[in-house]
Amino acid sequence: MRKHKGFTMVLLTFLFLGIFLSACMSDDSENQHAEGKISIDIYQGKVEFRDQFIKLAEKYEEENPDVSISVTAVGGGTDYFTSLRSRFSAGDEPEIFSVAGPSEAEDFKQYLSDLSDTKAASLALEGTLDGLMEGEQVYGLPFNQEGYGLIYNKKMFEEAGIDAEKILTYEDLEEAVQKLDSQKDELGIEEVFALPANEEWVISNHLANTFIAPEFNNSVMEAYESGTVPFEKSEELKRILDLQNTYSIQPTLSMDYSQQVEQYFTLEKVAIIQQGNWIYPTVAQMDQTFAEDNLGILPIPVEGHEGKLPVGVPNYWVVNDNKDDEVVEASKDFLNWMYTSEEGKEIVLNDLNFIPAYEGFDTSEIADPLSREIYEYSSKGYTIDWVFVGFPTPWTDSLGANMQEYIDGGKTWEEVIEDSRREWEGMRQ
Amino acid sequence: MKGRKRRLYVLEILGILLGLLWLSPFYLIAVNAFKTNRDIFADVLGFPSNPTIQNFIQAFIDLQFLQSLFNSLIITVASIGIIVFFSSMAAYALARNKSKLSSVILLIFVAAMLIPFQAVMIPLVALFGKAEMLNMVGLIFMYLGFGSSLAIFLYHGAMTSIPSTLDEAAIIDGANKFQTFWFIIFPLLKPISVTVGILNVIWIWNDFLLPSLILSDSEATIPLRMFYFFGQYTKQWHLALAGLTIVIIPVIVFYFIAQKQIIKGVSEGAVK
Amino acid sequence: MKSREFSYWLFLTPVILSLTLVVIIPLLFGLYYSFTDWNGLTVSTFIGLDHYMRVFEDQRFISSLWFTIKFSVVTVILLNILGLGLALLVTKQLKSSHLLRTIFFMPNLIGGLILGFIWQFIFISVFSDIGSIFGAESLQGWLSSPATGFWGLVILTSWQMAGYIMIIYIAYLQNIPSELLEAAEVDGANAFQRFRHVLFPLVAPAFTVSMFLTLSTAFKIYDQNLSLTDGGPYNSTEMVAMNIVNTAFTYNEMAYGQAKAIIFFIFVAAIAITQVYYNKKREVEL
Repeated sequence: MRKHKGFTMVLLTFLFLGIFLSACMSDDSENQHAEGKISIDIYQGKVEFRDQFIKLAEKYEEENPDVSISVTAVGGGTDYFTSLRSRFSAGDEPEIFSVAGPSEAEDFKQYLSDLSDTKAASLALEGTLDGLMEGEQVYGLPFNQEGYGLIYNKKMFEEAGIDAEKILTYEDLEEAVQKLDSQKDELGIEEVFALPANEEWVISNHLANTFIAPEFNNSVMEAYESGTVPFEKSEELKRILDLQNTYSIQPTLSMDYSQQVEQYFTLEKVAIIQQGNWIYPTVAQMDQTFAEDNLGILPIPVEGHEGKLPVGVPNYWVVNDNKDDEVVEASKDFLNWMYTSEEGKEIVLNDLNFIPAYEGFDTSEIADPLSREIYEYSSKGYTIDWVFVGFPTPWTDSLGANMQEYIDGGKTWEEVIEDSRREWEGMRQ
Repeated sequence: MKGRKRRLYVLEILGILLGLLWLSPFYLIAVNAFKTNRDIFADVLGFPSNPTIQNFIQAFIDLQFLQSLFNSLIITVASIGIIVFFSSMAAYALARNKSKLSSVILLIFVAAMLIPFQAVMIPLVALFGKAEMLNMVGLIFMYLGFGSSLAIFLYHGAMTSIPSTLDEAAIIDGANKFQTFWFIIFPLLKPISVTVGILNVIWIWNDFLLPSLILSDSEATIPLRMFYFFGQYTKQWHLALAGLTIVIIPVIVFYFIAQKQIIKGVSEGAVK
Repeated sequence: MKSREFSYWLFLTPVILSLTLVVIIPLLFGLYYSFTDWNGLTVSTFIGLDHYMRVFEDQRFISSLWFTIKFSVVTVILLNILGLGLALLVTKQLKSSHLLRTIFFMPNLIGGLILGFIWQFIFISVFSDIGSIFGAESLQGWLSSPATGFWGLVILTSWQMAGYIMIIYIAYLQNIPSELLEAAEVDGANAFQRFRHVLFPLVAPAFTVSMFLTLSTAFKIYDQNLSLTDGGPYNSTEMVAMNIVNTAFTYNEMAYGQAKAIIFFIFVAAIAITQVYYNKKREVEL
């Protein structure tokens, strides 16, 4: 009996300790934003630069003692958009959050503040605001610019005697690939490509976008408003997908991004991968010199658009309108500071490693060779836009799934195109 | 008899082989945690050629380990305390009052176990959001809601084997219901309490989806923080594996301390 | 304790309150939403049974349901064989018995989501490494086809839960008097006969318990599915729980997803009730 009493007491102690502590903790969380300060919650889906972004926010707090910022980055296991939506349906709305483009912004129409009077909006580069504009109203400020293409190993191209500058058309590319393939042993590679077909976004968002963007005149809004998808260049898309798949390390359907970039490309098992400038930190972390000296990027050849690289705005910052005016203004001030003040720009360039989407940056400071090259294309206007942020939200997923099924031999290419077109039309009704 | 010895010998070998097979994933986590990202992809199976503890240092910082461990502990301990406390009382009330109403209440609790979480997820978050309860306290309350069903079921099963003469004697001695339960009956339920505790530790400690929808950044538990290593696109395997090793250690320690009870607890829960 | 008594309700109120707020009210809301065009934020019109009609024409949902059923059947069988096998092994007088119990149970301590990531790493990187060492083609390209994705999920779940089921069987095996088995042996029964006529009838109740546990777990799996295959390739390994989450969030059809969740609930409940009914019937017969 006595022994049991002890057990009961321990249990009760635990219980009350738990209740007491959780009560304290919840007090803390309420007081996270100190009294009398304007508090700004920022919600975004890029875990990659979470720490650097927190640093940026802290810097701003130092300069503006009346503002307190808390940053939440939603990571891998949870879909960013899922948790954003549940925050909103719970009435726990962030002041600033990110959306990818008009299709994602659709559900949040009533929450978007007009940002057209901000300094940042006036400095945004030509075309970077288009994805979230309505007439004269600007609803989102671009995070940055990103670009993708065929990233290749410079040293290997030299060894194989290929001049990357001369690869413009599909035929040029095919010839180069065959040349590399015939010298696999000398170059020490397993295959020419590593195609991560497991990642739907690589084959559908990116690769398919390259061939769909021209038919929407490179306009996100045109894609967003279109009731159907013409797919005039579907044969070209098939050709390049087949090329990558044929000359890739197999099986492509289970290969993921991390294998493609780290295991195969950085360890020099393949010569070319279809990817974008975001791979740089990962490559540099594994092999600094390789990253600095050995990365080149080529456009994916599109007939009639040779030499153009797909560059676009992956995400926009939007400010929640459903807050007090004072808070909305403070939120805008923070975004302005981030992209237009000297300290902000410094961190954006050197810590976040962004390719800026605004004027007034010292672009010679752009952190890495890939980004510099992409910025080059962008400033000359040799670009294909990222119109996929204007596709119906789930459409890229189903296109990706259809393309995977084609790779696996379960669907013909005609079926892929027909099914995808039908789905687009269904989603746009 | 000789044949029997030999058979035992063969079984011993078989057991050890199976054990190694079961442990192999843990081995892979541990060896690769000491390699750089590059070395992991170069050679997954072997021992690290130049072991580094850099991953552990980085993972420890990224996980904000002490804080998230503290958060996880608070949530787990408080939830389990509350589940044990309230469920045992409820089961006592249901078991000692044999009526239609009690059976119906018990049935509702048991039926609630069948409801898939996805069916209530969104309305639940919306409801608690309106009450401004999207924080640790709200989460602990939710765990009571989701966890009480199984606990009541287990306690109820055990309660039937405790003779009600015990309570009657206590009442005659002048104890009230509350005292009777806590001082006479509850101590006899200790094995079941341990069972309930263990089953819920395994669930709550590792739960991901629900806390991810509810907790703010400063309240994040260990599983939530783990996901900083698995970005939307990138997986930082070297850090993830080191982080996993750090995270698994407290669990293994707890397991070895409470091993007897755990094994007993799980089987008690099953037999009842 | 009478139900009219104050103390009766005092003891019950906290759990009833929490169940009501956490499960019942959200479920009722969910049920209501499934008849409307709710988008997660607002409800504008009542559309009746439209969503439910759609579910029966939804090929992707039907194939995910089919996949889930196949997965559950295979997993339940495999887990019970493994669990019983391991239990028989560690209840022999082996020197390593105690250690083995510890080892077999360990995977249960780690969350499903994290296990999924670990096994993804094993299936893709480790398997192909081992495959190239031994020249075994069959180890290459796991998770790249519907079949390997299916078996990947089965292996992961079996590895994770076998130790748990083992413990349940041990509990029942320990209640079997060893004299019984020895007597059978003296009578000249071989190992199979001893298992068939002595052991099996005695562990039958354990089978019932573990079947219930494994079936309900297998049916509701989400975490492992998400981190191991994420439904790929081309949604061929998408299970019901994931299909519901994807419908609600990826496709942004909250109300339709809610309708699927209600159907899912009815399905799970039907299975459980059938099982309980048969067990009750069998117990009566015994």
